[in-house]
Parts: sequence; structure tokens; C-alpha cells
Amino acid sequence: MTSSATTCLACAVRGQPLVVGEVLGDDALAERLRVSGLWPGALVELLGKAPLGGPMLFKLHGFRLALRRNEAERVTANLAAPAGNLTGSAGAEKNA
Amino acid sequence: MSHGGSAVVRGSAGGEASSARTVALVGRANSGKTSLLMFLTGSAQRPINFPGTSVERSESEVQVGSVRLRVVDLPGIAAMQAISKDEEVTLEFLRNTGVDRPEVVCAVLDASKLSIELRLLRQLHALGLPIVVALTKVDVAAAEGNPVDVDNLRRALGLQLVPVDGRLGHGVAELRTMLGSDAALLSRPDSQAQSSTWQPPASKSTRRSMTDRIDAWLLHPLLGPVVLFGVLVLLFQLVFRVAEPFMAVVEDGQGLITGWLESVLAAGAMRSFVIDGLVNGLGSSLLFVPQIALLIAFVTMLEASGYMARAVFLLDRLLRCFGLSGKSFVPLTSSFACAIPGILASRILTDERDRLATIAVSPLMSCSARLPVYIVLLAAFFPPNQAGFLLMVMYLLGIVAAAVVAFVLRRTILRGGSSILAMELPVYQRPRLRVVARHAWTAVREFLRTAGTVILAATVVVWALGYFPRPAELHEKFERQRAAVPAGDAAEAALARIDAAESQAYLEQSWLADMGRAVQPVFAPAGFDWRMTVGVLAAFPARELVVPTLGTLHSLGEVEASDDAGAESVVRLRDALRDARGPDGKPVMNGLVALAAMAFFALCSQCVSTLAAIRRETHSWFWPVFTFSYMTVLAWLVAVAIYQIGSLLGYGLA
Repeated sequence: MTSSATTCLACAVRGQPLVVGEVLGDDALAERLRVSGLWPGALVELLGKAPLGGPMLFKLHGFRLALRRNEAERVTANLAAPAGNLTGSAGAEKNA
Repeated sequence: MSHGGSAVVRGSAGGEASSARTVALVGRANSGKTSLLMFLTGSAQRPINFPGTSVERSESEVQVGSVRLRVVDLPGIAAMQAISKDEEVTLEFLRNTGVDRPEVVCAVLDASKLSIELRLLRQLHALGLPIVVALTKVDVAAAEGNPVDVDNLRRALGLQLVPVDGRLGHGVAELRTMLGSDAALLSRPDSQAQSSTWQPPASKSTRRSMTDRIDAWLLHPLLGPVVLFGVLVLLFQLVFRVAEPFMAVVEDGQGLITGWLESVLAAGAMRSFVIDGLVNGLGSSLLFVPQIALLIAFVTMLEASGYMARAVFLLDRLLRCFGLSGKSFVPLTSSFACAIPGILASRILTDERDRLATIAVSPLMSCSARLPVYIVLLAAFFPPNQAGFLLMVMYLLGIVAAAVVAFVLRRTILRGGSSILAMELPVYQRPRLRVVARHAWTAVREFLRTAGTVILAATVVVWALGYFPRPAELHEKFERQRAAVPAGDAAEAALARIDAAESQAYLEQSWLADMGRAVQPVFAPAGFDWRMTVGVLAAFPARELVVPTLGTLHSLGEVEASDDAGAESVVRLRDALRDARGPDGKPVMNGLVALAAMAFFALCSQCVSTLAAIRRETHSWFWPVFTFSYMTVLAWLVAVAIYQIGSLLGYGLA
């Protein structure tokens, strides 16, 4: 699943849910992103963007996470399957 | 605390020895641990530094039956591997095996983001300690369309679980009893329980929650910044308009007390000390209490409602241009009330370099103590329409200077990789009045403590330097003049004139005047006369002293004291500043000097308490010394530049 990631969170479009592939790198930022709920299989939706290239706001696991563009670029993602399968993909999350 | 008393059974009448039990409060940042601790033990928390670190923890104790609970609030952690220094400390405390080790872990979990919280809980299992779950924000989860079935969750986890409301304190009594019970010690995850695999049911609701709908407006790319600008305008209106009537009340009160003291104290050193020193000094600092309370209450409401996080979101890009983070907005906003709560608020910045840069520039925000200085100088030398504009310029001057200084700092001594934002935006909530009131009170109490020590002591010193020496020949000279006044209708006015001239003469030869004249050459390039120089010197302990000192210097001490309309004293000082003449008979102040002086006061570091707060928060002497030095040099440079350039353009003193 992670190998076939086609996009990243920074390219997210409103109204089009994404499934997290992986967080790239292993510095403090990557660590912070991983413990913020961005683990493989997590369902993420773009809520909005701050003006002039400011942070992006995502909804995941029922809460709102603000990420800078460069932070969102570290997270690969795939388009989520159509609505009917959403619960299925959440269940397939890997356990850390 | 009202929630505390009734549920706590003190002592152990049964004769059994009271046993102690250490409970570690563990959870992610913002899970509501700290307010939970307050409700749990209901007693004052002692902030204690972890051994060998600068990381603070707070702990307090409470008696539950025969068990004495020692509850330790640990810095928030997101996982069992540390990213920050704070997290390292938490993990060390949890894993230690000494006498300090916790016997029970109280995991504070946020019901509105269970899937992420359960990961942490699973990692906590590895500690092998009993775990009691305190489930917070169940109401938020329901409002967001993901209601939690508490009984189901308790069964699935196989742990003791108590739902609590960290804002209102519901369920805390049950949690306290649970933590003190034997059941708590047995609350261990059994390896076969579902807790290792159980997942909360995925959200079925596609309905947009209240928060989503509000965000659609407040985070709108165009509307969002407009609303934010409106909020900032409201903040400054609060400073200038709403606080005014409250401040008038404080001034009137000071006038009444002064009037009463004058009627009971005989003229002389004692009366001058009490009225000009104590009452004047304390009164002029109490003047800021309404402003500080209102501003901090407003900022707390912004934070508690969830809007502050949105402001951070919207401003992050802009603030990053200057090397700060969006999160710097919170301490910088508080600093418009007073830099001390601002410096404390900088703790929310997780990146050390961002935090230090924010702390170093916070005192450049024009705090409420600068406002009276601006108002007096503006009223004296500018028509009202220009005064309003120039007041805004003074506030902007501080903001621009902060941006420049932060920019330079982040490229020199605080150079380093970019910080991390990755932050959660909370749901919107109605702010609890009690929380708002408590924050405002804490800020006011901190300020009063300062006013009661630093400002009062400094006032007394300034008073003494301005009152002594009292040569006898001067006194005799004015006595002779008094004796020469012919009796009649005009006698009273003539005597008052002589009194004023006498205090003026004393002041001119006082130690304070000597000091002012000695230092004046330093400030001559900025156009300051010796009196303004004394005002500057007196303001170094606390800038609250500027207006009372200038008042004394322009021989208003005695006149102002008999005046029980506070606003009138400002008018008198205004006129005195305008009319002040040097030995050559030329005016010593004009609009340009006033502008240079205001810029100096706007940028200079004149607050010992702020420097002490910087020392406490940075755990180093470098930052207070650095902040003091750069601000003072910057203030001098800008004041001199304004006066010199203005003089070249022909606005200087004739």
C-alpha cells in the first residue's frame, strides 16, 4: 500500500479524502507527524488552507490537525476508495 | 476548591497507618491534565523542577480514606519515545525504579480522538504499572458526531475507567475515590484483553459539526483575515475605551485618599513621603490594573473559545517571515497588557529557538504602562487628530522593531532549522467565566506583587532623591518672602505661588537634579533636557514611574496632591511640559522632543520585573542582560535619529 502512494498531503483537494501512505524521513518532524495520527492507513481530509501559502488544516481521526506545507509534503498518500469502503480502510490500519 | 472538601475523608480514625500512593497523570498535551489535577486535589500545586532539568512538573496531595494520594502532573507525551526534552523527563519519571516511582498511572484520554489516544494507552501497558483511565471531553466527542459508548470502551480495555469533565469537574470525585481504592492497584491490562486490538468504531456521521461550520467562516481565505483584523481592533479598543472609566475610578480614589491624608498629616517630610512617595507611586501603578485585567480576560477568552489556535493558523505564514512561529502570536498579544504574562505564555512554543526569540521581543510590544506616557506627551504637543494617529504609530513602532529584532536574532545567535507547527485546532467552546476570571486575577496579582515591591521601592528612592537635601538657607529665604506678603484678598494666592516656587527651588538643587544634569549629555542628541533625562533614569526600575516623576520635576508634586480630580493633574502636567523653560528662557520641549521621548519609552527596557521573568523562564542570565542591552541601545538610537533628522528638517528646538 505504501509503495503505491501517488500523491502527498500537500496536494490534497477539499472534498477528496486521502489515505496516508507513510511519513518520509526519521527526524524530529517525522516523529512528531507519526505520533500526531498520521500513520499508514489513516483517513485524512483537507478542511482548508490559510492564505498566501500558509498552513493547511486536515481532519483525521475526528480531530483537526494544522500542518505547514513543508510538513504536509512529508506525508505520502493515496486517494481513498469510494465512500462505501471507508470503514474498511480504517480497520486495515497497521498497529505500530 | 468547592469540589474538594466533601468527598475527601481526612485522617484514618480506624487506627490503620495512612499509606502513601504516587499517581502519575499521563496524557497528550492539551488532554486536560492540569485542570484535572486542580479538581482532583483541590489544593495549591507546587511547581517543582525535575532534578537536573529546567522542566517543571506540578504535584499536590490529597487524602482519600486511609491513602494519601500524591498526584504528579507530567509534561504531555504523544508516545513512549521522546521527541522533546519535556517528553524525555516524563518517560524517565515513569520508568524510574527509585522511591519516587509512580504506583499507579492515571491515563488522561481525550474521548474526541480515541484512536490516537488508544495507541498511547497501548504503549503505556509496557510499563507494567496499573492504569486507571480518566476519559475527558466525552461531550466534545458527541458534539463532533463520534459519541463514545463508555461502558463498551471500559469492557474492551479491561481497565478501570472514569469519565470526567476537566472543565466543570464532574466525575472527578469518583476518579479520586477510584485512584485511592484497591481496585486501582489491580487495574492491569490482561494480555488477552481486546485492548491491544480494539478500535473505536469509525465515524458514521457525515454531518458537519458546529466547529466545521464556524471554521468555514473564520478560516475562509478572505473572510478569515478580515475577522482576525477585527478581533485585533477590538483588543485595542478595549485598551483605549473600555478601560478608561475604570481607570478614572482608580484616579478618583487616589485623589480622595490624598485629600484625606493632607487633612490629617502636618506639612513636612513625612507628609511629602506618604503623599508624593507612597500614594503617588502606588496609585500610578494601580492605574494599570483595570487594563491588565481586561486585556488578559480578553486573551483568555480567545484561547478558551478555540479562536486563538485559528489566529495562530492564519498568522503562521506572516510570522515565519520574521523567524517567529504562528504560536508566537499568543505571547505577543498578551504582551500588550504586560510583558510578564506574555513571557510566561511563550511556554506554548515547543521549539526552543522560536521561544527565545519570542521572549526577547515580547517587551517591545507597547504594554499598558507605556500608555500614560504617550497620552501625556501627545496631549501636550499635538492636536487631538494627530495624537490619535501618532499613538497608533507608537504601537506600530514596537511591532516593527520586534519583527526586525526577531528576524536578525533568527539569522544570528538563534540560527537554526525550521520549527514544527503540526498542531491541533480544538473545537470551539464557550469560555468558562471562572477560568477567564482566574487568569485575569493571576495576572493582576502578579502585577500587584511587582507594584508592591519593585515599583514602591523605586518610588520611595526617587522621592528621596528628589526631596533631599533640604538646605536651611533655602527655607529661610522663602520664609522671608512669606513674611513680606501683605495681608489681604490676594495673600492666599501669593502664598501658594511662593510654596510652588519653594518646592521648585528645592527640586532644582536636589540629588535627583544633580544626577539628571550629570547624565543629560548622553541624551542631549535626542533633545532631552535634564528633567526628561531624570524621567528616563527613574523609569529604569519600572516605567510606571515616568509620569509621577515628570509630575514631581515640573513642580507639581504639591499642587497635584491638593487636586482630587485625577484627569486634571494630567492637564496640569501637560501644560507644565509645554511651558517648561530652560535657564536661557527658551522652551525645553516641543513636538519633536516629545516624539523622540515617546519612541525612547516605546523601545526601552524599563521594567525590572520583566527582566526577572525572562531570567526565570530562560534559566540564564544571558537573555535578560541581552534584552536589556539591545532594547536600551535601540531606544537611544531611534530617539536620537528622530531628533536629529527632525532638526535637519527644521522641527528642532529654536
